Amino acid sequence: MRAETLKGHLDGLLLATLEPGPLHGYAVIEALRARSGGAFDLPTGTVYPALHRLERAGLLRATWSAVGGRRRRTYTLTSTGRRALAAERATWQTFATAVSALLQPAPTPAGAQA
Amino acid sequence: MITARPDLDPAAEQILDGYLGELAARLPGPARARQAVLAELGDGLLDATQARLTGEATPAQAAAAAVNEFGDPATVAHAFAPELAATCARRTALALIATGPLVGGLWLAAVLTAAGPAALAAAPPWQWPVIQAGGWPARLLLGLAVVTVVAAWLTVAATGPLTCWLPTQPGLPAIAATTAAGGTGLVDLGLLVALTIAALAFPDVVSWPLATVAATASLVRCALASRAAHRCLTLRTAAS
Repeated sequence: MRAETLKGHLDGLLLATLEPGPLHGYAVIEALRARSGGAFDLPTGTVYPALHRLERAGLLRATWSAVGGRRRRTYTLTSTGRRALAAERATWQTFATAVSALLQPAPTPAGAQA
Repeated sequence: MITARPDLDPAAEQILDGYLGELAARLPGPARARQAVLAELGDGLLDATQARLTGEATPAQAAAAAVNEFGDPATVAHAFAPELAATCARRTALALIATGPLVGGLWLAAVLTAAGPAALAAAPPWQWPVIQAGGWPARLLLGLAVVTVVAAWLTVAATGPLTCWLPTQPGLPAIAATTAAGGTGLVDLGLLVALTIAALAFPDVVSWPLATVAATASLVRCALASRAAHRCLTLRTAAS
């Protein structure tokens, strides 16, 4: 799926990916790919700036640690991030329900000719 | 650049280092912020390479696939530019807000010592005798100081947690920070000119010890603010 298709939803997807627990940047991307069944395969390098933006907005907290001689940045969902995720879910449910209702083929009126 | 790993051969390291080098050349912003980005992406690249070493791929092939997955350096650098611009703008604004009262306090202390409490009568700043005596240039300087304070706080609001509720244009923080830093530099320059005029007209009245400290603080801040304004402007261009 192209990045443009996800525009407007990436923040919610990243927050949802971090809901189970803290992850480092590449693990977030792998989880996003795995949980979407491979549908969300974004250019990896462009997901990192989104994580930084969410951190700046106070929805994520980032901490540096040393792992195997490498510096690693781990992201954790904050309480504000959990509230934002809940709001994103509610908005999405409303949107998805409305779109599904509209996109479903309309039932053929009784007696209509093909 | 990439920390050596026992399972990576020199060819693979060369591919990863080449990618990070190209990215480093394209990333805008302060060196410290760029180094942090490169360290994080370097770690991710090693993970991506490692994930591809499970099959029959050679380390070099795995590294090439990892680099391909991350996207071309120009796209990644462009994606990071608004973030680096916002980070730089926020740091600049916070530094200006932190130093503003200090430098302003030094100048007020110098005026109070030289002209006495009457110079800052209990009235709004634009009605202070020292401002009235300075005429329109003094009022202009005061207005500019107000604009810089507003711009600095606007930058802080547009780059922090408030962004959840106040969506802003990507370039706004850098513009606001440029305004705040540029305005601060002009205010400092104006204060230094005012001190020079006062020193020439009323050399016996000027409180030299305090005026020297205030002037030094303004000189330093003027230089730093000018540099920060230029940096924010450059980042704003890169982020647009």
